[in-house]
Amino acid sequence: MAEDLVLDTAIRDWVLIPLSVVMVLIGILRHFVSKLMRSSQVPDAKIVKEGQLIVRARNLRSGANFIPPRSFRARRFYFSNEENGLLHVPKGQAPNPQAQMFSDPNMAMDMMKKNLSMIIPQTLTFAWVNFFFSGFVAAKIPFPLTQRFRSMLQNGIDLSTVDVSYVSSRSWYFLNLFGLRGLFSLILGEDNATDDTQRMMQMSGFGFDPTKSLGAEKDSLDIVQHDWALPKFEQRAEAVLRKVLS
Amino acid sequence: MAGHSESSGAEKKSGEAANEIPTFNAENLQTNMKAIYYSRTFLSIVGGVIAGILGFTSLTGFIFYFLVMAITSVGLIAKSGFSIHSYFDSWNRVIFDGFLSGLMSFVLFWTFAYDMVHIF
Repeated sequence: MAEDLVLDTAIRDWVLIPLSVVMVLIGILRHFVSKLMRSSQVPDAKIVKEGQLIVRARNLRSGANFIPPRSFRARRFYFSNEENGLLHVPKGQAPNPQAQMFSDPNMAMDMMKKNLSMIIPQTLTFAWVNFFFSGFVAAKIPFPLTQRFRSMLQNGIDLSTVDVSYVSSRSWYFLNLFGLRGLFSLILGEDNATDDTQRMMQMSGFGFDPTKSLGAEKDSLDIVQHDWALPKFEQRAEAVLRKVLS
Repeated sequence: MAGHSESSGAEKKSGEAANEIPTFNAENLQTNMKAIYYSRTFLSIVGGVIAGILGFTSLTGFIFYFLVMAITSVGLIAKSGFSIHSYFDSWNRVIFDGFLSGLMSFVLFWTFAYDMVHIF
């Protein structure tokens, strides 16, 4: 195993630094491009209504203990009775989200834009890195790794004698791809386009079925144990006041 | 280090009621969590650069990361005036949140600074 490879300083000046800077700049560019392309779609009145309904039911659930039992039961009945409760969805009326998706071209368009703005810069950067910087070691990670990581870190170098902690430029690109996420969330704010988890959320929200969440909210409203808190509040107020006085 | 966490100033409704009924303001709780996340990310990046410049390798570097995260936790706790429950719903939030997401940034910047200073 080679002890210490001597790396040319030109690699640092012309590969390592430019590559990292380009990754950061591309991330920023992508953020603003996807911000520009984002089309504001008019929300469907029915969906908004259902969303607000869920918020109301949730508020009732979290504030349940602050109203008398009678009021709570009345409100719960209003939300979840079987005939005309707001949260009760008759069977067979649930719209098919898949069909809805295809009937609304704007939605599919939006999703495609989002995906494209993600894929195109990545492919381009990867091709760029591959074309210019392939075939040599660009960096060294400061901790040892097992042989298993060779394919991950020395992507593009087919030498089995080089120490695994040396990283090829292609793998340095991948390291950047994953490691810069934190930096992006710092400099671009929370809802940046590069955030993967955010994207996953949007993806899953796409095939989102409102009736399902209505049903879930109804169930959790049904099992709320109501315990009126206010009678005990006098004692608590007394305790607090005593503490203040003493 | 605690100075960075000043953004966690968004007050949640006082936790005095915690003895019986949990009273949370979900939005404020989320703001506080975000503040934790930002300070952790920031400190892991800064810590990575410091570790790289000081030339830590292998285990020392990871111990340094744990140290930085522990200092962050202590800083956050000190910032909240040692009354965690008036800002967050559990201790785990302060101590563990954003731990793994910071590790990746830490490793990247550690490697970067280490290569800049020591390898070439």
